Amino acid sequence: MVEEKQILTKNMRDSKYSGDLKAYKNAGGFNALDTVIRKMKPEQVLELVKASDLRGRGGAGFPTGVKWSFMPKDTGKPSYLICNADESEPGTFKDHLIMMRDPHLFLEGMIIGCYTIDCNTGYIYIRGESQTAIAIMEKAIGELYKDKLLGQNVMGSKYSLDLYVHPGAGAYICGEETALLDSLEGKRGQPRIKPPFPAVSGYNSCPTSVNNVETLACLPYIINEGPEAWKAMGTPNNSGTHMVCISGHVEKPGVYEVEMGVSLLEMINDLAGGVRNGKKLKAVIPGGASANILKADEADVPYEFDALMKAGTMMGSAAVIVFDEDTDMVEVASRTIRFFNHESCGQCTPCREGTFWLKNMIRDFLDNAGDEAKMQRVERVSANLIGTTICPFGDATGGPMGTFIGKFPEDFRKHFA
Amino acid sequence: MPTFYLDNEPIEFEPGENVLAAALRHHREIPHYCYHPGLQVTAQCRMCLVDVVDMGNGRGMPKLQTSCSTAAAEGMKVDSQSEKVKHGQILVNEFLLINHPLDCPICDQAGECDLQDFSFKYGSGQSEMEYEKRVYGLRDVGTFIVLERNRCIHCSRCERFTRDVTGTHDFGMFLRTHELTFDTFEDHQITDKFQGNLADICPVGCIMNRDWRFKKRAWKLNKTESICPSCSTGCNITVEHHKNRVFRLKPRENQEVNRWWMCDEGRIGFKQLNDRVTRLAEPQARVKGQLRSVVWETAYEAIVTRLKEIGATGAQAFGIIDTHATNEEMHLFKKLMQEGLGAETVYFPLRRGEQQVQPPREDMDPFIYTLIQTDKSPNTRGALAQGLTGDEDDKRLLAALQAEPKVAVICGAPLEDNAAVCKAAAKAELVIQLGTFRGPWTEVADVVLPGYTYAEKQGSFTNKADRVQRINAGIRPAEGARDQVRILQELLAALGKPQKTVDAPDVFDAMASEQGAFKGMSWDKLGSLGGVLPGK
Ligand SMILES: Cc1cc2nc3c(=O)[nH]c(=O)nc-3n(C[C@H](O)[C@H](O)[C@H](O)COP(=O)(O)O)c2cc1C
Ligand code: SF4
Ligand code: SF4
Ligand code: SF4
Ligand code: FES
Repeated sequence: MVEEKQILTKNMRDSKYSGDLKAYKNAGGFNALDTVIRKMKPEQVLELVKASDLRGRGGAGFPTGVKWSFMPKDTGKPSYLICNADESEPGTFKDHLIMMRDPHLFLEGMIIGCYTIDCNTGYIYIRGESQTAIAIMEKAIGELYKDKLLGQNVMGSKYSLDLYVHPGAGAYICGEETALLDSLEGKRGQPRIKPPFPAVSGYNSCPTSVNNVETLACLPYIINEGPEAWKAMGTPNNSGTHMVCISGHVEKPGVYEVEMGVSLLEMINDLAGGVRNGKKLKAVIPGGASANILKADEADVPYEFDALMKAGTMMGSAAVIVFDEDTDMVEVASRTIRFFNHESCGQCTPCREGTFWLKNMIRDFLDNAGDEAKMQRVERVSANLIGTTICPFGDATGGPMGTFIGKFPEDFRKHFA
Repeated sequence: MPTFYLDNEPIEFEPGENVLAAALRHHREIPHYCYHPGLQVTAQCRMCLVDVVDMGNGRGMPKLQTSCSTAAAEGMKVDSQSEKVKHGQILVNEFLLINHPLDCPICDQAGECDLQDFSFKYGSGQSEMEYEKRVYGLRDVGTFIVLERNRCIHCSRCERFTRDVTGTHDFGMFLRTHELTFDTFEDHQITDKFQGNLADICPVGCIMNRDWRFKKRAWKLNKTESICPSCSTGCNITVEHHKNRVFRLKPRENQEVNRWWMCDEGRIGFKQLNDRVTRLAEPQARVKGQLRSVVWETAYEAIVTRLKEIGATGAQAFGIIDTHATNEEMHLFKKLMQEGLGAETVYFPLRRGEQQVQPPREDMDPFIYTLIQTDKSPNTRGALAQGLTGDEDDKRLLAALQAEPKVAVICGAPLEDNAAVCKAAAKAELVIQLGTFRGPWTEVADVVLPGYTYAEKQGSFTNKADRVQRINAGIRPAEGARDQVRILQELLAALGKPQKTVDAPDVFDAMASEQGAFKGMSWDKLGSLGGVLPGK
């Protein structure tokens, strides 16, 4: 039986919890920051984060401490911490939940992060459509300034920090960290080539770390309870808990906090109430639209970065999308490719042209005009998107499109002319 | 120098250089569209794929890499010919073509189109795309260029050029995904003086030089290396012509002078080369007030006879040459005036040049703006190096004309807009013009000796930075005209001063041994990129 954990979701579980600064402090909030500011040097915090094996929750699962240690010191340039709160991956809705229900948990984590990388200005990049989240964050930041937890001399120390909320203009690609940086700089948001990596040359060519909301929200616990307590949860190399967004054909869709490494199938059954209306499971996308789909018989896999990678897919942004036996994979493929075709920034040839071509071919299947040659062509074009582009968007399109047709060919055959 | 290996061939590279840049410098072809050595690397076309089998540390890279954005490393082993690479090139090229109109038969880029060339060489030759292609339509975007957007391959060179090279930000990227367009902002006409370069760097027939559209198939053009004569920068160019008609000028890369660029003013400077109406095509002599065609021998005889009749002595000969003349012509003209006619001073109108257009921003590389100079002639520095007498406000030469010289020799068309000068010189008993086009000087000349245009002859110009650069004969000269170098030597011979030299290279080498300013130089050593005057 998979159980829910209450590490990040402890406060918000209480329906009476208001999320304002007073409520957060009453719940023990800002103790971690207090410890950090008064007792720890940035290097010590970094060591602690490294020791916790915390991996980024934005999609790539890169170890946060390692990422921060790549940032050069004494460059004479300011360092920046930018929180990626764009959360546009289809199926993902955990970051917004954190920001709307427990904004100070995340902000405490962000301030700790800023302190660790010696950054005096941080930005929170929220997708522009999320007006509610933006308003809540603005209000919460206002509270912190009033309480001297932000601004000059945080908590009376020598450390100063300003945080700003920056609304995006509603492009999925602006969630990719370098596109986000371009967008933040006021340019057209499109991914940059790497190297240079943001750690070395990011926002305004300064050392920059881009971190996900949930990643930062993990920090207060790690400081308060220590890295060992964090690592006691989850599996080796996949430490701690994380917030999983379960949607689709389940009885109880929602965000569930679990330890890393629980069974994906059990999670769907035990927490989300299983497939709705007593139907059978057909397939599940484990990590957002960018992740390759798993067939029902592949779904009993430990829900963690490494095991899912081994299963040929990824944990991504922990967005689990469940499909019941009545689902037509051609429709899923159609919805997916329309999204990716709409959201490609267009600069790379394979992504710009390939998403367009795939969309047209999938539409033919929807119109019952498919054939064997077209199936092969969809697979071929999908494969040609993988590993040929500037950012992982190409893989994120080609992978899922290839697996829809590779794993459910009979669905496509039903749409032959 | 550090070295990496491209298909086992050692390639030396500058530290920090990327694989593609180094390979291209070594004349190795790796197909590419978005990379341009003068622009920032964006690695977006994805065509320049290579397989890095060893990064120099014994480990390879799992995926194909874009060579334009991959830093070369010591001992790195790069494969550009393997099946894996070929497959990568085929797939990228296929994607580029699915929405491309392939209207090559009516596309002016055909024959010099990267997309066409690389599709033939690296493409599959097949298409499986069966949907309606993207259509954007033609747009009129500049005074000098048009945009045939259907052919765009989204390489962003235009956007980067107007962002970083001209700083004018004329081009932007609009929309995204397959609807992405590279275009100018609505109702914004590009008016700067460097638009032609956009047509050059656009790898396909999307940005087209308005003047060149539908004029000639590119593969028919013959190309002659030359120097733009329209200002003192002397941008390196090719004169591109077919059946003796010049169709366009294109910049030729010279990092010391113009990099890859030239200005639009220079680019349309070729028009006069095709002018057959005012072109002087035969020697003429004035008989009873009328210019009559004569044969060359008669023209020279007439000059010699007339000179004897009027008995001009040294101080009575006035010579002026314009700064469109080559170094070789200046050298011979000086000889003609001094040794043949005994004059002391040889004049030229001196126009000091300065940068004409300022960059729009301070935080940019202003280089391209240094190209356009206010001195609209190519060889002012040459005249100075020869020790000819420059006159900035034309007062000295007017004074010399006031002294009523008996002979006036005019080489080219100096100060032809200055009526006072023409009128004063016309008073001489013998006015000789070596010219190429009919003009005010022809009206007052007693003998007209027709020479070649810069596209018809060899020679050299000395640019604003004292760089001596060669021009070459491309098109066939007007029948009946003669190379100025020949004319001047024939005149010298007629006046009893025969020269041992024959053609312009000869004259250049003789000049280099006689005149200190050119000491140590030789025609051959100038090569196609020129050389700087010694001591400069
Ligand atoms: C197409 C694309 C979209 C992405 N969107 C998001 C997003 O909305 N939110 C996010 O946190 N990370 C997103 N990422 C991942 C970021 O690039 C980056 O890896 C992440 O923000 C790093 O934070 P982390 O180390 O805390 O995971 C996206 C990546 C790609 C390729
Ligand atoms: S892969 Fe797609 S989204 Fe990513 S940079 Fe290339 S065109 Fe843009
Ligand atoms: S741009 Fe090139 S490939 Fe396209 S129509 Fe013109 S010549 Fe043909
Ligand atoms: S117009 Fe030409 S230069 Fe500009 S993006 Fe298109 S193909 Fe490239
Ligand atoms: S030339 Fe390298 S990606 Fe375009």
